[in-house]
Amino acid sequence: MIDQEATLQEEFEITGGDFINGGSASCRIKNILKDIGVDAEIIRRVAIASYEAEMNIVMYAKKGIMRFFLTPKKILIKVNDEGPGIRDIELAMQPGYSTATTEMREMGFGAGMGLPNIRKNADKFNIQSAVNKGTQLEIEINLNSKK
Amino acid sequence: MIEKIFYHSVKIDEAKCIGCVVCMKACPTKAIRIKERKAKVIAERCVDCGECYRVCPYNAITSLTTKTSDIDRFKIKVALPSPVLYSQFRPEVMPDEILTVLKEIGFDYVYDEALACEMTSIAIEEYLEKNLSPRPIISSTCPVVVRLIQRLFPDLVSLIIRMEPPREIAAKNLRKELSWEHKIAEQDIGIFHITSCPAKMVSINKPETMEKSYLDGAISIREIYNQIMARIRHKERRFMLQSQTQISGIGIGWAISGGEIRSIKHDAAVSVSGVYDTIKILNDVESGKIKNIEYLECLICPDGCIGGPLTVENRFLAKSNILRFIRQFGGKNRIDVNYVRQLYEKNYFSFERDIKPKPFPPLDNDKNKAIQKLKKKEKIMKTLPGINCGVCGAPDCESFAEDLVRNEPGLRSCVFLGESNL
Repeated sequence: MIDQEATLQEEFEITGGDFINGGSASCRIKNILKDIGVDAEIIRRVAIASYEAEMNIVMYAKKGIMRFFLTPKKILIKVNDEGPGIRDIELAMQPGYSTATTEMREMGFGAGMGLPNIRKNADKFNIQSAVNKGTQLEIEINLNSKK
Repeated sequence: MIEKIFYHSVKIDEAKCIGCVVCMKACPTKAIRIKERKAKVIAERCVDCGECYRVCPYNAITSLTTKTSDIDRFKIKVALPSPVLYSQFRPEVMPDEILTVLKEIGFDYVYDEALACEMTSIAIEEYLEKNLSPRPIISSTCPVVVRLIQRLFPDLVSLIIRMEPPREIAAKNLRKELSWEHKIAEQDIGIFHITSCPAKMVSINKPETMEKSYLDGAISIREIYNQIMARIRHKERRFMLQSQTQISGIGIGWAISGGEIRSIKHDAAVSVSGVYDTIKILNDVESGKIKNIEYLECLICPDGCIGGPLTVENRFLAKSNILRFIRQFGGKNRIDVNYVRQLYEKNYFSFERDIKPKPFPPLDNDKNKAIQKLKKKEKIMKTLPGINCGVCGAPDCESFAEDLVRNEPGLRSCVFLGESNL
């Protein structure tokens, strides 16, 4: 499916509850895209989508893996976490809906914009979740798309 | 030709440079390499922050600010000192005294930039109220921050407030008013900013938002300091002048970090200073991590412009001087708020043209090749020791690996690996 030669792959392990290092994977992804010369607007979309996905693991899951694939045409980010899962995906996709604790909100997270923000910035977005098992996200952004 | 495209504010004196690694290590954008025992600036990576100028142990880096002797080519010579200048002397030396001394030095007219700072404060409030563009809106005051965003954070360019900073607004006003008043052609008036900032030369000679700057040059505080000192020291105190001081207390605060947002009524305004903290917060803005912030003031020098490389006074004492002036002159508007609002409506503060992103050149223009080069860079990095010694002439192992895949000429090999192992 993926042409290994033409693809750059990176894998990041993300630890739940680690607010100190949370955000480093998306930062690394951003820098890769700048090295490659990806359009500024696309970088911003990837930066926001990957940051929200990463912080969702930090906030809700035990741990997770974020896989990043870059081809000359598109960016694919696959996220797999071991977490509580999402009971009602449709509800979770609504702006403003959040299950964040007061503590998380005090830290400036949990505004209920995470998943909607990811979908808004992605060209293709796929989410699957099983309660008490975990959540999988697939985020695809084309390198030459305009939003 | 390269020189013309990338104009910079500092110059390396090859006679004095011995090729040590101090400036290369200090450069926050990794724009310096040591080649043939001399420091070289990679023009498209430099944002004119002045860190190299600060740290050079051999005084081999000079700032390209205007020499005081250069002002004579104009019929009317005007000084527009940054409020930072007021902070550079003993506490009892008042701003008006400094303005008077500047006249004695040879300027025909001297104007207080703080007044334009106050105008800009009012205009920023108008802007925040009338523009619903994405937040945070980022200040355009620091020319280095503007260039840093263009280069390192090209996707944030659209967040920069589309308004000229006070120095340009002041010069724009002055040129027009003086030309009317004295019936003299605008080009015969020379307006010089007196500043702590080497990068002002770049924003004057290579403006990003207009065809031509309203300023004709920038004079370093370090260059003019001794001349001012000599006159302050040997003359009687100017009591009368001090008592009729008309300096804007709101405007004077712009010399320190937080000054620009002090008079903004929005609670959600944040000020950041220093090059590393600025890079850090812009990184957070880029990730969307910074939420609910309306306005972001970033100044590249520590504590703001009083921490500029071209200052003389210790920045902590200078800061204390500014804070005292703010108390003394008060927070009352000296300018008619409605007048500024009218000017704002007429786009008086607006950029002539938008700021363009100017990202660092990618590893390759062909994305396919760029990906391959990035993979190669990662591979090379795994073989390097990772101790970032700088002996190869690149600031760290990562930059060395990147220079290798970019085929930069004049690279030395890694002292730990030698030629054969790369």
